[in-house]
Amino acid sequence: MSLAASLRAIVGDTHVLDRPAELLVYESDGLPGYQRTPSVAVFPGTADEALAVVRTLARAGVPFVPRGAGTGLSGGALADGAVLLGLNRLKRIIAIDPVRRVARVEPGVVNVTLTKAATPFGLHYAPDPSSQTACTIGGNLAENAGGPHCLKYGVTLNHVVAAKVALPDGTVVELDSDDGGYDLLGAFVGSEGCFGVALELTVKLTPNPERIVTLLADFTSIDDAAQTVSAIIAAGILPAALEMMDQATVGAVEASIYAAGYPTDAAAVLLVEVDGATVGLDDDVQGVDGICRAHGARDVRIATEPAARARLWQGRKKAFGAMGRLAPHLVVQDAVVPRTKLPALLARIAAIGDENQVRVCNVFHAGDGNLHPNIPYNANDRDEAARVHVAMRQIMQACIDAGGTITGEHGVGLDKLPYMDALFTPDTLDGMCRLRDVFDPLRRANPGKVVPVRYCRERRPATATTDGGRRTDDR
Amino acid sequence: MSSLAAPVVPRHLATPLADARAGLDACVHCGFCLQACPTYLALEDENDSPRGRLVLMRAALEGRVSLDDPDVATHLSRCLGCRGCESACPSGVPYGHLLEAAREQLSSTRPLPVVARLILWVFARPAVLRVALWFGRLARDSGIAAELARLPGRFGFPFAMLASTARESAPQWTPRRASVTRGTVATLDGCVMEGLFTGVNRATERVLAENGYSLCDAPGQQCCGALHVHAGDAATARTLAKANIAAFEASGAQFVASNSAGCGAMMKEYGQLLADDSAWRERARAFSAKVRDASELLAAAGPRPGAPLPGEITYDAPCHLEHAQKLSAPPLQVLAAIPALRHTVLDDREQCCGSAGIFNLIEPNVSERVLAAKMRCITATGAPVVATGNPGCLMQIGAGLVREGRGAVARHPVELLDASYARQER
Repeated sequence: MSLAASLRAIVGDTHVLDRPAELLVYESDGLPGYQRTPSVAVFPGTADEALAVVRTLARAGVPFVPRGAGTGLSGGALADGAVLLGLNRLKRIIAIDPVRRVARVEPGVVNVTLTKAATPFGLHYAPDPSSQTACTIGGNLAENAGGPHCLKYGVTLNHVVAAKVALPDGTVVELDSDDGGYDLLGAFVGSEGCFGVALELTVKLTPNPERIVTLLADFTSIDDAAQTVSAIIAAGILPAALEMMDQATVGAVEASIYAAGYPTDAAAVLLVEVDGATVGLDDDVQGVDGICRAHGARDVRIATEPAARARLWQGRKKAFGAMGRLAPHLVVQDAVVPRTKLPALLARIAAIGDENQVRVCNVFHAGDGNLHPNIPYNANDRDEAARVHVAMRQIMQACIDAGGTITGEHGVGLDKLPYMDALFTPDTLDGMCRLRDVFDPLRRANPGKVVPVRYCRERRPATATTDGGRRTDDR
Repeated sequence: MSSLAAPVVPRHLATPLADARAGLDACVHCGFCLQACPTYLALEDENDSPRGRLVLMRAALEGRVSLDDPDVATHLSRCLGCRGCESACPSGVPYGHLLEAAREQLSSTRPLPVVARLILWVFARPAVLRVALWFGRLARDSGIAAELARLPGRFGFPFAMLASTARESAPQWTPRRASVTRGTVATLDGCVMEGLFTGVNRATERVLAENGYSLCDAPGQQCCGALHVHAGDAATARTLAKANIAAFEASGAQFVASNSAGCGAMMKEYGQLLADDSAWRERARAFSAKVRDASELLAAAGPRPGAPLPGEITYDAPCHLEHAQKLSAPPLQVLAAIPALRHTVLDDREQCCGSAGIFNLIEPNVSERVLAAKMRCITATGAPVVATGNPGCLMQIGAGLVREGRGAVARHPVELLDASYARQER
């Protein structure tokens, strides 16, 4: 029986795809510059089916790539000849416990769906990536996803309590943050599909704040806006979110159906949200308002009504999608620098854009120093594509030089592989390979991602427990 | 990083899809459309999502797959054309137009199913259509349709649709002479509306008159052509569009009103449909600028409140109002003009019900799964009346309610306002 036939026996005929036309959409995630064709795509409908699929793939010795909604932005869910394991059908919210404030969910539950289900209890799921209307909790776990509100509430890692995981060899393990010993759950979160497949997750739910106020500050200089970011934190205020958008981004958003009323003539806008107990919150609002104005803000708008706040946020969260209207293609980047370096970095990014004659649009989590320089361009123009490539490398190098790192929340995947050498020593990369070996000694799960293949291969002969004859991750 | 360069696109002859290329390029593959797509939610495969279908269209354009590859055809055919994705797309991908272009191109090499061709043939011929609808009314009014609706599955469903169009005789009342005149209006009778929802058409005329509009006749009007465009038969649609433009021009009316969301959306797009026809371009644009959904005209007039009509309703947004015409508020304003009518908000009301023109007849399995999700939300409201302003949705949800057997019914918002006005002393 062929592999596809074995998989069909588990999940049913319609949930296994192996004809070329039907695999096309699964060639890319949210970063369509990369296209890798899976050999087969399989979509289990229950956790039992998913486990049976993992075990069948283990018996066959076939590499596989887990995928949620395919909204990732690092090419992490691409399967180059491997089997694509889609988890989007595992979308059951198993239980919500409003007393313990936790939810048990399957990995394919869409992020915002969980918050919607928790709303009647006055709770929400705090990590809110901009793709939250589409991305899955399982994908969030794999990428250790962030989002605007992670400034105050923490990233996915801080909200996952336990996970039931199928290791690539088909063994099921329960990882729990309450267990003693090494934090294996912590190691699993953000492992980008290289350590196994989460079949079920227990996540924290966060009480909705008593009061929320959103401020929109508008600046005529990017530098002023960047200085304001550090000044707010230095003043001892911890906003729930502190976001920045430059003029190019604002223009794209205002041309879309998500137009939020941002000033299109501003050089940059800051979106600042403060939340918490009603008592004392006005002090924070006045504090942020005063700091913005002291740093040259032309205007500060204050929104308290849910509809008005939602409108301000929709524009921010759909900004990356809105850039599609600027040019036929788009590269989306993700890097982190120390917050105090933001003014210098933004100036450097602008200079890199000018030198290479490309248009950089910045929309990012300023409070975390988590940059997203995006470049819309036309890939059919070979010269422009080459210039975009150069500019991106220079921007990433500038972030590393500033003491930053190459990804804040999108993951390494395929896109950031070339930068791993620049950031880590060979010894550190070797250490990462050894950690991977604990979960997946045969390296069949998401092969070729995160750590450049040569580091893993170099140390392979020393690993007596692996099947040295099988080429799995050096595609 | 070779990935930054796109493959060179082979030069093709001008085709509908090639002409729409810029729209395809706007897609950044972000996936925000997935949860807005009823067929993705029902079938759970991205090939049945907007993003997946756009990938297939682009691959066809680049010559990576053939448009008549059975897989491509299947997934493009399974699209409802509800355009819910357009209301979620930050990049403004004109999905509806891309789908129509792809289907037009597809239809040149791969004929539509026999059922679809028969339906479209009938709708383009007024005399034949009149006879067909006469038989429909006969089956409905004799009770045969209600009996046949009990048949399970695919065979019974169309009869349940037909049975759901039955109405008790409408209350008779005469609109008062308006103190202000809001303009002259000619209404599109519509094929199904005039044939099976005659009472709703008369109600529309009465409530428009009651709100200050003067009605004029537009003889010679025909089917709007929406069903044809959606199925890829743009040529027939253009012929019908020209007949309608001429008929409504001759009426001299300031506004062309439709109480059918699908027909209104189509007529608002005649300007685009005939953009390449130099003899008709300007006339089509001027015509489209006059088209209004009946709820728009009523909302502009208030509308005037009626007498109390105690009861409970829920409202389902027709896709061609919500997504194609971007009209969310006007139908709710119509319902809000009815005192004592309590409105329970329907979960996912902006999601398609699975009717989608003739989709429920040519893709019954997919349609049934989409309707099942809608019915779960409707049942949860417990409302005995579902208001929705489009004949396809009225019959799809109506059939769902007939089969549910709870005794609930689907009604046009204008019908409810008419009933409210009828209760007033005058």
